[in-house]
Amino acid sequence: MKIIVPVKQILDPKGITVRRDKERIFINREEYIVDLGSKAAIEAALRLKESVADAEVIALSMGKPQADDALREALAIGCDAAYLLSDKAFKEADITVTVHILAAAIKKLGGADLIVAGRESSDTGAGQIGPRLAEALDYAQVTDVYALAVADGMLQATRPWAHSYAAVKAPLPAVVTVALEAFPPRYAHGARIMSAYRDWNVPVWTCADLGLDEAALAPLLSFRGESFPPPIEAEKFRGDPASVAQEVVMALRLQKVIG
Amino acid sequence: MDFTFPKEYQLFRRMVREFVENEVRPLAKVIDREHRVPHETVKKAAKLGLMGVPFPQKYGGMGGGEIGYCILAEELGRVCSSTATVIGAHIGIAAMAIHLDGTEEQKQKYLVPLAQGKAIGAFGLTEAQAGSDAAAIKTTAVRDGDQFVLNGAKVFITNGDIADTIIVMAVTDPTLGAYGGITAFIAETDSPGFSIGSLENKMGIRGSSTAECVFQDVRVPKENVLGQFGAGFLTFMKSLDIGRASLGAACLGGAQAALESSINWARAREQFGAPIATKQSVHFMLSEMFVDIEALRSLVYRTAWLIDTHQPHVMEAAACKLFGSETAHRCINKALQIHGALGYSRDYSIELGWRDQRISEIYEGTNEIQRVVIAANLFRPYGLRIPT
Repeated sequence: MKIIVPVKQILDPKGITVRRDKERIFINREEYIVDLGSKAAIEAALRLKESVADAEVIALSMGKPQADDALREALAIGCDAAYLLSDKAFKEADITVTVHILAAAIKKLGGADLIVAGRESSDTGAGQIGPRLAEALDYAQVTDVYALAVADGMLQATRPWAHSYAAVKAPLPAVVTVALEAFPPRYAHGARIMSAYRDWNVPVWTCADLGLDEAALAPLLSFRGESFPPPIEAEKFRGDPASVAQEVVMALRLQKVIG
Repeated sequence: MDFTFPKEYQLFRRMVREFVENEVRPLAKVIDREHRVPHETVKKAAKLGLMGVPFPQKYGGMGGGEIGYCILAEELGRVCSSTATVIGAHIGIAAMAIHLDGTEEQKQKYLVPLAQGKAIGAFGLTEAQAGSDAAAIKTTAVRDGDQFVLNGAKVFITNGDIADTIIVMAVTDPTLGAYGGITAFIAETDSPGFSIGSLENKMGIRGSSTAECVFQDVRVPKENVLGQFGAGFLTFMKSLDIGRASLGAACLGGAQAALESSINWARAREQFGAPIATKQSVHFMLSEMFVDIEALRSLVYRTAWLIDTHQPHVMEAAACKLFGSETAHRCINKALQIHGALGYSRDYSIELGWRDQRISEIYEGTNEIQRVVIAANLFRPYGLRIPT
């Protein structure tokens, strides 16, 4: 069973400051991480791999050369192979073009039995990759999945339905998008981290390798600027619960709300 | 000259930080209060290869070398010194001794399970009358056919009561002294005659157990002689040398945590109508902390690189331990001052860091011994040999 996971590399939000007053986003530290949605997708794919005989998980990423790091992390976490789709011609890619490129790579890999994507990415939150890929490849699709399994050649999935959940079935090949909260990612094994950079390769496929016509890569969307919702007056504390609790207690003490 | 960490180490640090923030930080206070690092935490660390970071993958290790191990020690030291000590004694001196001087059979039998975290290791050197003067040990090993019979007591042994494998230094020929008369052995703690005496009630690193290990006619097969017979002192010194670099790394983590916490507090705490982050007295303390920490960081990772590239590193490793523990001391002291009365409160982590830090100036060779080691090596090129 061939499981393909589209992986997105995003700017680490910890290195960004959003200045509402200046209506600008400042990048204090340009570091890239694997998108949390992609991490959940990798986790879901690996769990599925462990539950069926003879499965492989392949990570694919369309991006700049530095997306190599995201794919090596995917290998370290447990993916069996990874391919980077990178070319100067992909520079302006919007969602339509990205899906076009991903679909071409999936076809080059001989198609998939299952494509597992994140429900949405942590940066744009558009949630379009999964459904659009399903349309482009003419695969069945199930979105916002909380549990999945494959039995008798059918995909079985649990997804929200009204105020409850529904168990659904779909024929393979299929695309599922998974809920972040249902698939907390595992840590990469240290030895796999070392091997991911020292022993394993991430092939790069260019526009020519994918047999794509550059003229077909013109984006439909253009970026015109950022808009900022009005600021919220309350003070927010973010982070892990233990340190947030400490900060809240300190803040309350400073305000003399508590002794 | 490129000082950037190779990418595998950058990713490794990120993984370790996530692991430590999620799995260790929430427990740091409980570990101190209940005097134990949960077995479950050690098992989780083992599952990620963290119990064998420096060792080759063919021996069940992670293949991260000393640089990888220093990253682990730094990240653990940043959050929980008890956990850093448990894992540090296991990897840095116990398993390390087998890695350095073990035979292929010993590595297969003992290093593999230690590196995989299926067994826990301890390092038995110190005795009641032999601390800094390690050559004054009284534990004996007497040959009896194919075995050695061990008798004596080791004290202040980190992990002593939770270890499966303990490296023991014993006198095999009292007439020969440190070089020739002392041999290292690998002993199993389920051997008849091995028992735990008292457990120390310590000021800090309370989650790491410190035990008295008693050997009463403990029989060890002759195959378990570690390194050359009679050269045990060298085996121990080599292991301790490497352990000192990672100890400096753990101190680096502790000092870094003190700085981070001080920066956050200085931004939040207002006095005289402004955050104390605007006060020059605070600037001076924070800047001095930063300088200390950056100097230590360079020293630690350069020493780790010397070790990984098999270059002489004895003085540098001693410097890591000496400068690291004193840097941590200074930084945590300043952090406590910046935090004021809250820093003195048991409800916040500064007080725990302060108690935890103090031991690093004492264990694995007191700072005075580190100075002796460094000085002896300073004179050596001039032909003046000072016994250490």
